[in-house]
Amino acid sequence: MAFDWSQYRCNGLHDEMFVAPDVPRPSARALLAYLRSMSGKELADRRLAADLAIKVMGITFTVYSEGKNVDRAWPFDLLPRVISKTEWERTERGLKQRANALNQFIQDLYGDQKIIKDKIVPAEVLADSVNFRPQCVGVKPKAGIWAHICGSDLVRDADGTLYVLEDNLRVPSGVSYMLENRAVTKRVWPEIFETTTILPVDDYPAQLYDTLAALSPRPGESPNVVLLTPGIYNSAYFEHAYLAQQMGVELVEGTDLFVDNDDCVYMRTIYGPKRVDVIYRRIDDLFIDPEAFRADSILGCKGLMRAWIRGNVGLANAPGAGVADDKVIYAFVPQMIKYYLGEDAILPNVPSYLCMIEKQRDYVLANLDKLVVKPANESGGYGMMIGPRASAEERAKFAELIKQNPRNYMAQPTLNLSTGPTITDDGIEPRHLDLRPFILSRGESTYVTTGGLTRVALVKGSLVVNSSQGGGSKDTWVVDLDEDDPAPVVIKTKAQTLAPGQTQTQSKAAAPQGAKADV
Amino acid sequence: MLSRVAENLYWFGRYVQRAENTARLLNVNANLMLDLPRRMTLGWGTLIDIVGSTERFKSLYDHASEENVVRYLMTDERNPASIRSSLHTAREILRTVRDTMPRETWERVNDIYFYVLERGDHSLARAPRQAFLQQAVSGTLLIYGVLTSNMSRDVGFQFLRIGTNIEQADMTTRILDVRTYSLLGIQPGDLSPFESIQWMSVLRSLTAYQMYRRHARVRVNGPGVLRFLLQNRDFPRSVMFCLSTIASTLPALPGNRKIERAIERTRALIRDANLDVLLATEGQLPQLMDEIQIGLGELHGALAQTYFSSNT
Repeated sequence: MAFDWSQYRCNGLHDEMFVAPDVPRPSARALLAYLRSMSGKELADRRLAADLAIKVMGITFTVYSEGKNVDRAWPFDLLPRVISKTEWERTERGLKQRANALNQFIQDLYGDQKIIKDKIVPAEVLADSVNFRPQCVGVKPKAGIWAHICGSDLVRDADGTLYVLEDNLRVPSGVSYMLENRAVTKRVWPEIFETTTILPVDDYPAQLYDTLAALSPRPGESPNVVLLTPGIYNSAYFEHAYLAQQMGVELVEGTDLFVDNDDCVYMRTIYGPKRVDVIYRRIDDLFIDPEAFRADSILGCKGLMRAWIRGNVGLANAPGAGVADDKVIYAFVPQMIKYYLGEDAILPNVPSYLCMIEKQRDYVLANLDKLVVKPANESGGYGMMIGPRASAEERAKFAELIKQNPRNYMAQPTLNLSTGPTITDDGIEPRHLDLRPFILSRGESTYVTTGGLTRVALVKGSLVVNSSQGGGSKDTWVVDLDEDDPAPVVIKTKAQTLAPGQTQTQSKAAAPQGAKADV
Repeated sequence: MLSRVAENLYWFGRYVQRAENTARLLNVNANLMLDLPRRMTLGWGTLIDIVGSTERFKSLYDHASEENVVRYLMTDERNPASIRSSLHTAREILRTVRDTMPRETWERVNDIYFYVLERGDHSLARAPRQAFLQQAVSGTLLIYGVLTSNMSRDVGFQFLRIGTNIEQADMTTRILDVRTYSLLGIQPGDLSPFESIQWMSVLRSLTAYQMYRRHARVRVNGPGVLRFLLQNRDFPRSVMFCLSTIASTLPALPGNRKIERAIERTRALIRDANLDVLLATEGQLPQLMDEIQIGLGELHGALAQTYFSSNT
């Protein structure tokens, strides 16, 4: 028996597929019509086929559990998340604007620190930043770009506003799963591509390669680009190998590299040493060079910082870029955009309360049961507290943590994350999701992935989308309604009339938030 | 080509080849057992001798029964050379060099690895075993198929070829060593139908029976089989063929003098061997096999020194 879509309920939240029960969004109309035509058995068969494809294609991620590294099949939900091209174009502009401002900010911090002198960002934020690298002061990488690859997490609240939740500027991962999710969908659901114009995502590896190649200190020659991985036990190793393969570059480990007396980086090959021009490093700053950072690191390569500072090798992302990957600095991004670009932020921040500012801290401490409290420098969803779901003890623990180290904590209201229909053991149900697009900054141009990686909390009611904590993923479609067959012409006009309205409300929302963070 | 990657490709080739050879060996032995009279001492234990794992086997099992030997060589994780372990190691290695090989390689390795993992323990009994082993062989052949038809003949491919061929040369000499050793005690004429069955099984362990018949066109006999498996230049599992294949990769590799010399020494050893005399004199043939094995060991050492070790 087919699933009865009229029974699907979005519980008053924003659902990515439905405007209201049984009323699909224009961009999802063709998809829903197709899904309705499928019997329950057919859908179950496709789900099995997808599981099998993921196994055969070896799409895995590694989790550290019970003292062992376990390779798990990538959790994938067959039902795609659909975004209209109109909405996406605006989002893309917002992401480019943001990446641009963040890069100028990082360059400024390691240079003249004008934004601090002008008191837009308080000096203490910088003074206490654990990701500020004094070794990088005075360095000016090519085109002034530090965060060549950025992964920004977007979430949608109940009113439909798309917020930026955080920016990952250190070693953001997930893009390979975005590409593989599409490959799986194509494999198990080829006919669905005939009814809808889904914009392709496959361009990313080529764009990434161009971004990296442009960093070569030896222009003119074909640059030797490598991807530096911590090795097969890293949770993102699958992605490292995948990207190296897709770009046709060498996947290297720290032991494959050395820095010679000429301060150039070489790799050990069967022909003897070969000069390396650009390193896409997927190792955290502190581990890339035991000479400059942690002496006990065996993952990196001794002398790498020396070589980079001399301009003999390009590093992406640049060491020290993570200074902007800080949830307190995050709160200042709208001001940065204003300060460096003279523009209003296209994509709003989630309203944020900084515990380092007394008034805001008092508010946070008084409202712990309503807020999400986050440490400034953790990723992967670790070390945070979701107030409404925390026990009184947990809240007391966090109150203490905040008082001890206010700079390290910030809080945000608990958002009612949007949902998307997801196949579960109890039929198709709404599950919360987010979106991580990837932004490539090259200086002269900026590229944004078409859509991004949609992560979904597979556990009912859960807001945690991280794959290490029970999250799954969906293929993400940016759908171009203009390209579709004449039938949905009515829809087309609807989408166009909708679009400007959305733009207005969202940019309005951006302004007060900017102001709020100023307090 | 990174030194680490070259070494991994080499070992990937070896482990896949090892899995295939072990599967064939088990299959052929089962058939041989059916043909031999019960009173003949030759049993499953010789397979353990062939793979050179006597000590470890003894520490794990009481006696070399069919059940124990089959389990040990097919699915035992404690045996690093079992089919399951070999494929596991090959897969772990491939993980680190996936970017150098066609993507389908990874899919085919997963196919066969998961098949062995899921079906292995239910396939130990004679009846399901045969189909299982055939599937294991087909699985490895598919891997070669993908590599041969989809991989550029770059340096990486040469290391794969060196790996598969050195492993094959090693296995061929091991089979000859152990099998002929057990044959030598047999009085000529006494058990001649069985003697010829045994020589045929030597050929079959190396899938050489048909090619041997086409080549020799005479009744299967000891010196003929030895000559074919050691010296033949056209049969891909003969030691000479494997060494020549390795030699043919050398023009694509830098700084290869040491390797060339190691290959030449072993090739001369095989070329100059008088097999009729060796067979007639007790202890001579095992000695030749030992010398070839040492030669292969030196070849491996030369490869490691020239390409795999860190050259700062």
